[in-house]
Amino acid sequence: MAATSFHQVFRSLQSQNHLNYSNFKQGNENSSFRFISKGFKLDINLLRRGTYCSKRRSFGVIKTSASQNSTAFDPVSAPSNGTTTDSNKKSSEAALVLIRHGESMWNEKNLFTGCVNVPLTEKGVEEAIEAGKRISNIPVDMIYTSALIRAQMTAMLAMTEHRNKKVPIILHDESEQAKTWSQIFSEETEKQCIPVITAWQLNKRMYGELQGLNKQETADRYGTDQVHEWRRSYDIPPPNGESLEMCAERAVAYFKEYIEPQLLSGKNVMIAAHGNSLRSIIMYLDELTSQEVISLELSTGIPMLYIFKDGRFTRRGSPVAPTEASVYAYTKSLAQYRQKLDERFQS
Amino acid sequence: MAATAFHQAFGTLRSRDCVTHSGLKHENGSASFKLISKSSKLDIALLNRGTYCSRKRSFSLVQASASQTTVSDPVSTPSNGKTTESKKKSSEAALILIRHGESMWNEKNLFTGCVDVPLTEKGVEEAIEAGKRISNIPIDMIYTSALIRAQMTAMLAMTEHRRKKVPIILHNESERAKSWSQIFSEETKKQCVPVVTAWQLNERMYGELQGLNKQETADRYGAEQVHEWRRSYDIPPPNGESLEMCAERAVAYFKEYIEPQLLSGKNVMIAAHGNSLRSIIMYLDKLTSQEVISLELSTGIPMLYISKEGRFIRRGSPVAPTEAGVYAYTKVMQTFLCH
Repeated sequence: MAATSFHQVFRSLQSQNHLNYSNFKQGNENSSFRFISKGFKLDINLLRRGTYCSKRRSFGVIKTSASQNSTAFDPVSAPSNGTTTDSNKKSSEAALVLIRHGESMWNEKNLFTGCVNVPLTEKGVEEAIEAGKRISNIPVDMIYTSALIRAQMTAMLAMTEHRNKKVPIILHDESEQAKTWSQIFSEETEKQCIPVITAWQLNKRMYGELQGLNKQETADRYGTDQVHEWRRSYDIPPPNGESLEMCAERAVAYFKEYIEPQLLSGKNVMIAAHGNSLRSIIMYLDELTSQEVISLELSTGIPMLYIFKDGRFTRRGSPVAPTEASVYAYTKSLAQYRQKLDERFQS
Repeated sequence: MAATAFHQAFGTLRSRDCVTHSGLKHENGSASFKLISKSSKLDIALLNRGTYCSRKRSFSLVQASASQTTVSDPVSTPSNGKTTESKKKSSEAALILIRHGESMWNEKNLFTGCVDVPLTEKGVEEAIEAGKRISNIPIDMIYTSALIRAQMTAMLAMTEHRRKKVPIILHNESERAKSWSQIFSEETKKQCVPVVTAWQLNERMYGELQGLNKQETADRYGAEQVHEWRRSYDIPPPNGESLEMCAERAVAYFKEYIEPQLLSGKNVMIAAHGNSLRSIIMYLDKLTSQEVISLELSTGIPMLYISKEGRFIRRGSPVAPTEAGVYAYTKVMQTFLCH
């Protein structure tokens, strides 16, 4: 076969920054932020947004007067170290988006789902599309999902809203035939692809013999106290199932081995997964204790953004929906990426 | 593990009719049809609808005055006195074929083949529309290809289904995958529709054309050559499949796995791709290779076949809820509807 395979390109993707906006990753010693308001005319006086960051950062105080045209913003003048022409300097800043899938058909029926492969309801589909609108301006270079259809659909539905119009392609390596059959033979097309990797390690916590039972049935069978313990403890698994600790072990191991290197090389990553697997990852990112992670609740369908920079993860909250009137703080490179998208659509 | 595995239950599903409507499968010597109008008051006189059937059947002339609901006039037909044999196993089953809608590479005019490209917003809407059209047709099993655009089409269509049974994708890629996806409630298992994913139902593999656009391809290989690959029956693109090769694996899968389900009375939905579905239709309708080349399947429009006593009868496309048309249900499906 004369043409290159997608997988070769994929490997080369891992070692180079080939995205358009990489030219704009001009790292400064002090991070400066641009604030873009998606709402109406506002005068915003912003102070240190310490609550969003789990690590110490310095913020500039900014006054912006925003109009309804969300693409206009005031460039913030920040101290520059004179390296503004280092446009190709490799930056270690990358975006990490976490999305928990929306309502599944067993959520609706109040059944314990675990690793049973149940699809989304109509509502879950809408939640996924809404999530997509919120992240439509955040660059995505790679997508990781679990092996369950509800997470995969959430990712694919969200990407139908993405503005950069790159096409997610699910990679297949379950067999030699699967690999060869899914090869792409056009360089140009490969560049417009976002590889999607499905991994069972990102699956929902396996609920053992509770899978398929409803909450009443379960309380009847085992007693309410026992059920509460399984659901809320860190290390006590349901019969033949996983504890949160076991789930965290495999999910975080996968994250460290496969996903973190991508972020280190500057790739922007989206993970579409489940309540427990994402909590496990957040426990790692935010360095939570087991007590803290037990009480952590993740909204469904609301994406969470982290910025990975210099080996550290900074939680940046949730990107706003297009109809919300509020302020969302982009990093400089995210803002520039957004601007490029806007320019492309205006021309 | 004390509880039975879902897969064991799945095995027993094959050998008995567990769907609630099976109790109502009354067999008569000649089939009778009830006509249901989904539009406003109409007087409908129907003659022999021979065009829809590729086999000879006898029809009764029916005059129905229909209102906007699903009220119908029972047709009186010669009964052979066996109306109480409600548990007699019927070999009549519904087969629904759905071709997925627009994918992101369709939109960009690229040859897709077996590259796993998802649906666009439009493709998502097509799938939901298709779901509305089949929301009243019983489904006991779903087969899809290994590609996300067909799987999503099936799952999106099922969000519209009236029966509210839940499709569950079966996993047997590894021991762990099997044990991790087990269900431990009998009640819940009865409310499940098993979904089987099979690469044999994939789109025709397009070899070295995958990812190329039509202009690029014409430039690289010449317009004549490209036309030959796309329209011939047995000439494959470089390192790809011909339609003949695609048909071979798709029909073999159908005969081995899907047909037995239909023969045992299970209602089946297949969500797949243009070429794999054409191959199956070639088998169902006994088309020649010339005929199958020119067969075009609409995207997102489900096609219904009735499987009866080993024969397949094409029944056209169920109407959309907003269309004012007439769709002929078989008696079995009619009783299913009324529940």
